[in-house]
Amino acid sequence: MGWITVTIVIPLVAALVLAFASELEDAGIRAIGLIGSVGALLASVVLAVQFDVADPNLQLAETFTWIPAVDANVSLAVDGVSLVLILLTTLLTPLILVASWSSITDRLRGYVAAFLALEAAVIGVFAATDLLLFYVFFEFTLVPMYLIIGIWGGAGRRYAAVKFFLYTLLGGLLMLVAILYLFSQAGTFSYEAIVALDLDPSVQRWLFGAFVVAFAVKVPLFPVHTWLPDAHTEAPTGGSVFLAGVLLKMGTFGLLRYALPIFPDATVTFAPWLLAVSVVGILYGAIVALMQSDIKKLIAYSSVSHMGFVVLGTFALNTTATAASVVQMVNHGLSTGALFLLIGFLYERRHTRRIADFGGLAKQVPVMAGLWLLVSLSSLALPGLNGFVGEFPILLGTFQVNRTAAVLAAFGAVLAALYLLWAYQRMFHGPLEGEANTSTTDLNRREIGVLAPLLVLIVAIGLYPKPLFDVVEPSVERVLVEVGVQELDVEPAAAVTREEG
Amino acid sequence: MLLAQASPEGTLEVPDIAWSAFAPELLVAAVGLVLLLVAVARGRHQLVAIPAAAGFVAVGAWLITAGVTVPGATTIVVGAALPAAVFAFPRRVSMVQAVGAVAALLGALVLTGWQYVAVLDLGAVTIVPQQALAGALANDGIAFFTRVTVYLSALLVVPLGYAYLNERRINRAEVEPLLLFAAVGMVALATANDLVTLFVALEVFSLALYVLSGLARRDRRSQEAGLKYFVMGAVASAILLYGMALLYVATGRLDLPGIGTVLGLVTTDRLVAALGLGLVTVGIGFKVSLVPFQLWTPDVYQGAPTSVTGFMAAATKAAGFAAVLRLYLVAFPALQSLWVPVIAVLAAASMLYGAYLAVVQGDLKRMLAFSSITHAGYASIGLLAVSDDGLSAALLYVLTYAVSTLAAFGCVIAIERTRRGEVGLTHLRGLGRTSPAVAGILSLALLSLAGIPPTAGFIGKLMVFRAGVDAGLTWLVVIGVASSVVAAFFYLRIAGMMFLEEPDPEGPIPAQSTGMSLGIAVAAALVVFIGLQPQPLLQYAEAAASLVR
Repeated sequence: MGWITVTIVIPLVAALVLAFASELEDAGIRAIGLIGSVGALLASVVLAVQFDVADPNLQLAETFTWIPAVDANVSLAVDGVSLVLILLTTLLTPLILVASWSSITDRLRGYVAAFLALEAAVIGVFAATDLLLFYVFFEFTLVPMYLIIGIWGGAGRRYAAVKFFLYTLLGGLLMLVAILYLFSQAGTFSYEAIVALDLDPSVQRWLFGAFVVAFAVKVPLFPVHTWLPDAHTEAPTGGSVFLAGVLLKMGTFGLLRYALPIFPDATVTFAPWLLAVSVVGILYGAIVALMQSDIKKLIAYSSVSHMGFVVLGTFALNTTATAASVVQMVNHGLSTGALFLLIGFLYERRHTRRIADFGGLAKQVPVMAGLWLLVSLSSLALPGLNGFVGEFPILLGTFQVNRTAAVLAAFGAVLAALYLLWAYQRMFHGPLEGEANTSTTDLNRREIGVLAPLLVLIVAIGLYPKPLFDVVEPSVERVLVEVGVQELDVEPAAAVTREEG
Repeated sequence: MLLAQASPEGTLEVPDIAWSAFAPELLVAAVGLVLLLVAVARGRHQLVAIPAAAGFVAVGAWLITAGVTVPGATTIVVGAALPAAVFAFPRRVSMVQAVGAVAALLGALVLTGWQYVAVLDLGAVTIVPQQALAGALANDGIAFFTRVTVYLSALLVVPLGYAYLNERRINRAEVEPLLLFAAVGMVALATANDLVTLFVALEVFSLALYVLSGLARRDRRSQEAGLKYFVMGAVASAILLYGMALLYVATGRLDLPGIGTVLGLVTTDRLVAALGLGLVTVGIGFKVSLVPFQLWTPDVYQGAPTSVTGFMAAATKAAGFAAVLRLYLVAFPALQSLWVPVIAVLAAASMLYGAYLAVVQGDLKRMLAFSSITHAGYASIGLLAVSDDGLSAALLYVLTYAVSTLAAFGCVIAIERTRRGEVGLTHLRGLGRTSPAVAGILSLALLSLAGIPPTAGFIGKLMVFRAGVDAGLTWLVVIGVASSVVAAFFYLRIAGMMFLEEPDPEGPIPAQSTGMSLGIAVAAALVVFIGLQPQPLLQYAEAAASLVR
């Protein structure tokens, strides 16, 4: 059993223990939750240590026989892209659990168990190298997330939970049909074999369409994004953080891992269309975010906009933009995750999320205000913080292939500054008035502790992004070579390491 | 006993009857008869049980001396179970019957396994088909797999319904014997290889089910269900019979492989044959409740005692589809261009109609009835693929559907027992808090029916979709996808009612009893096990893609 399996099994076992230990006290539940999630974090760190940065291929592979009748196996492996996303997942989960200690009092056992199960499934999604296994993990994430939104969410939680489930299920099932078609061609669900298939371009278009719909719903791309604002607004804080931080990445990860290399011809054909859709999403999300009166909804729409950047970079199809889009996935997870945590902490104190209910809070809660500003600046891509090192190369790379798209997308970045800073101004500046505002308490140690790792990473990636790019770039290049838009030895460094391997 | 003729030496001058081909059915039918006598004997049921047991033991001993050890031992054990039950529960006839039925069904499953190992060739990739009774019975993959599904369903239904039926004072004497006879009829239908056997088998299990669904004499809905099922079923049988007659007119044959051969000849009258095919499709479509022959399903499912409904949903579907697969793949391959488009439309209509109407149902049993129509559509995709993969996918699908739906009906029974009335959606409010086990298992069963991984239902759906895509029926699979999403909506609504709502203080707390809980737990365990580790089952399903042609 390799470390990928260990990383999946630890939270899964913890979830199962919680599911059956009905007599457990809250402290015990928290302890098991922490053991499971921190255990997974440590295992994923070991995984990262073993990972060979120079090797562009899927590595540390593990295979267990599963269903020989259809040649489906439990095959797990990581490349640079999956590794950083797994690390993001294992980092966010313990933070979410600690952040929820004060806000979740009802049915804590189920809450922690659902998060641990969700974590295991998401790591499985990022590590699977068998399409059936990938699909199983991909669909299985729906159940715990449905429960998290539906049980511990806000007033409109039932509607939001069902909408989330059905949207994703429809996309997922269409993808299943496409996977089955690929299986009928390849005779196996193995990723390597299916990537090696030489499919007819007209067939590729249909299958590509099915995959893109499935992933577009997850990202979410305009116009299938409508579930996201509901889900984000109604989900409990932890749910929002996980959704923004990790679950949305399953969509962009899927595009990069599956849609591009399996359907290279269709990718090249449809890339301009996807650029267009991303730009519409970037601008639409930003404009709608500008008009929100609910701070959580504002950040939800900003996610639509930011994830548009990721898809834009992916379909620019050059190393600069596509590698940056992976970096931006991590950045978005950190920044938006931190913002949702802050909103959650504020909501616990005030039980409102209306921007108009706040004002002048900077004097009352200086620590929260300072961190909020820092995270907002990171989200709006201020140079020196992590958002910039992701968004700027995306725009740069896109500019090389499609100037219009790049220019329009840049407006999105401007609008991001507008909606984030304007919201900050309305909430934290101005006169400090009203009993509610003057009695708001600042962040406590636990809350600062939860935010600290995220803040450290926000600054660190902003100042020195090279390690992150180093991990991601070879894998992204491998994908682009498979798509056929990149020659094998464009980057001398990568070529050399390949010879060594 | 007639069994004397089966001596392996084969020295007697009688036609060689391959008793082994229907050994499980013989056992179940014999026990069914004894259980009926036990009920008739009332207070003196020892007088029936002991001689009967003696008979079983004698036959078993004789079989062992003749060299067939496994069936002999099984017969002895099942026989011994009867007086054991009588002495353990001297005053509870119904318990004796239940124990006897469970023993018989377990024995039947053992014998099915024995058939698989000893009689059908284990080494071969697929089960080597075998004929019995001069071609009237086909003992092949379909038969083997359907046996497992039907006997397993019946085995789960007995403990599931035991306390429920007792509490409702639903006429107890007949329940287990009728259940066993119905199971025998269903398996006979799955093995029937000529039109006459097929029709007789169909009537045997239908008659048993008519009575079973009307058993709750004090419940008007049950009366309605019994009558409606009987009248509509009789009409369907008549249409089926007429279709068979036309097929005989067109081909001059009654055996399915013979019909298949003659239909392939150019001299055959295609018009009469097509008419026959059409009428047979109507008749059999009724039994598996494909749209537009589904009208009876919701009323009958709702009215019949719940354990009977579960049995009908699980086992009738299996037996019906076994007959459908055999008929269309053995007798009608020559008319493929006619029936494939027709059944494809019926399947699409069933998937959509069942799913859309299930959404508006408030009653749980009715909702499950509409969902059974949807599932008939899915299983049909396996038939329409007209391939070995499709055949094994359809067989697998009905088995996964059977365990999932039985788990669901088991939970409905648990709730119904305290509620003492129909179980509506609102009665489930907050069940996730008051009774997490029942709510969890019901949700699991519904997720499986919706085909969400990792459950048995997902594996079934995966395999039929795969067969459909392989056969170029992608459009039908996409309709299946659309219907799955709609279906997921109402399954989710139930799960949501249980887990997302606050409990209703007046709401029913599901009852518990050993047998019922055990039945539910076994069904739920199967749902999870097949979902996580489907390989053994897939292997059997693959091997079951063999037909007597």
